[in-house]
Amino acid sequence: MTGDTHYDLDILAELAEDLLDVDTARQVREHLAVCDPCGEQLADLAAVREVLAATPTPAMPMGVALRIDRALAAEAETRRSGGVGLAEAPDWDELMRDSPWERPVEVPEPARLGAAEAPEPVRLGVVSDDGTIVPAKRRRARRPRWAMPAVAAAAAAVVVGATVASTGLLAGGDGTDGGSPSPVVALPTHESSHMAKPAQPRAYALTDSGHNYSDQELRQPLEGFFGPAPIVGGATSDAADVDKCVSRVASRTDLHTYAVDQGQYNGQEALVVASWKDKAAGRLRIDIVDPFNCKNLRKPTLGRW
Amino acid sequence: MNSPPETPSAAERPAITDAELLTAHINGDPHAFSEIVKRHRDRMWAVALRTLGDPDEAADAVQDAFVSAYRKAATFRGEAAVTTWLHRIVVNACLDRMRRKSVRPVADDELIEAAERDTPLPDQTVEREVSMEVSAALKLLPNDQRAALVLVDMMGYSVEDAAQVLQVPSGTVKSRCARGRAKLAPILSHLRNRTDLNRVSSAKGAELRDG
Repeated sequence: MTGDTHYDLDILAELAEDLLDVDTARQVREHLAVCDPCGEQLADLAAVREVLAATPTPAMPMGVALRIDRALAAEAETRRSGGVGLAEAPDWDELMRDSPWERPVEVPEPARLGAAEAPEPVRLGVVSDDGTIVPAKRRRARRPRWAMPAVAAAAAAVVVGATVASTGLLAGGDGTDGGSPSPVVALPTHESSHMAKPAQPRAYALTDSGHNYSDQELRQPLEGFFGPAPIVGGATSDAADVDKCVSRVASRTDLHTYAVDQGQYNGQEALVVASWKDKAAGRLRIDIVDPFNCKNLRKPTLGRW
Repeated sequence: MNSPPETPSAAERPAITDAELLTAHINGDPHAFSEIVKRHRDRMWAVALRTLGDPDEAADAVQDAFVSAYRKAATFRGEAAVTTWLHRIVVNACLDRMRRKSVRPVADDELIEAAERDTPLPDQTVEREVSMEVSAALKLLPNDQRAALVLVDMMGYSVEDAAQVLQVPSGTVKSRCARGRAKLAPILSHLRNRTDLNRVSSAKGAELRDG
């Protein structure tokens, strides 16, 4: 070995996986025996496995588990009502394609019908680009009740809190349990007007203080900032946007959203979303998100009410 | 959803196998499938989250997959493990999503969120950093390489199991892993000497580490 020929990572990785032919493998091994840099590379490769193996894999968040339970419950409902074939979305066949467990003969005809009616079964994901669920508009009609005092709102937050986190499930469920042929797909346009479900109360108090929050202020009791601002009532499109972000945040945190303030963070438009982490102790989790994409503008932090 | 205590559901009979549960589900036991979900959702979530790198997408994919499995249970043929079958469906759902649209880039905070949810670790900062770097690095890989690495290196499956899940020959899994690792090596090499790496988080990790 002359010392100036090294093997690249691909070759070394293949060596490690025993993918090289015998001759090449021997050459590389001989080289490795005398070449420190290549030995280092090999160690880097081993480290990749180690790092990947050591990376913690989180448990499924409760919100997601709940959402799946609901989807399956809706599915069971469909099954009971005999709507199995009809409700079959083409998506599933797509998903199961090439699966060795599939018996092609048994693919039911209705699945194809579904395909014809709903060429874009992707909608099953329901979540649009910004992560919201389509029927946000359904909640329009009955906003005035929001002019309730914060305390009452807090009570509501406890009771209804979970629904905020699960807006997604509702959408998923609605699509399937009606036994309609193209689940979930048709929600946005015609349904919003006449299908409006009993409005779900907004489970948090929404204020619009316009306050420009700083990191330091976030460490102080939030009531001082949220409290004085009037509760926003009515169903503005603004409020719907806020709702989107709030449910987005709630699905990330699995906490009950308590209060939301429209303001600024370091001069940038922001929603300050306060959710109970430990209600008894008055501990809140504070998410600062931008109101357009619902992206966190800073690390979520712990705060007090 | 909760069954009365006097009629123990399948969930409460611990000795029952996945395959038996699936059969029970096919035969109309309303609780059988939720038990399967309960048993496997964390793994499925982990696979989806790591493969897609996005909690929202992962949630959609896992939901799609479980609903799909629910519907298609009758087509399951006993020759493979139920878990393999489920993994296959989840991985398919993920690959499907990735194919349909390029999954949007994820803000770091979401990854932190995803990583820290339900896994309160005493020393989060380091692990969190590592987790974020790993997620970011995985995104740089082609889908097939990432899927292989997630199963083999992260989830600790044997190459043979991963091959079954991914529906490709073992040699293909090996070469995808090899190519993936070769791409990741320069990116992750700085984590190599991190002390915390010795504290491998799982038995399978330790196994890998110790060869």
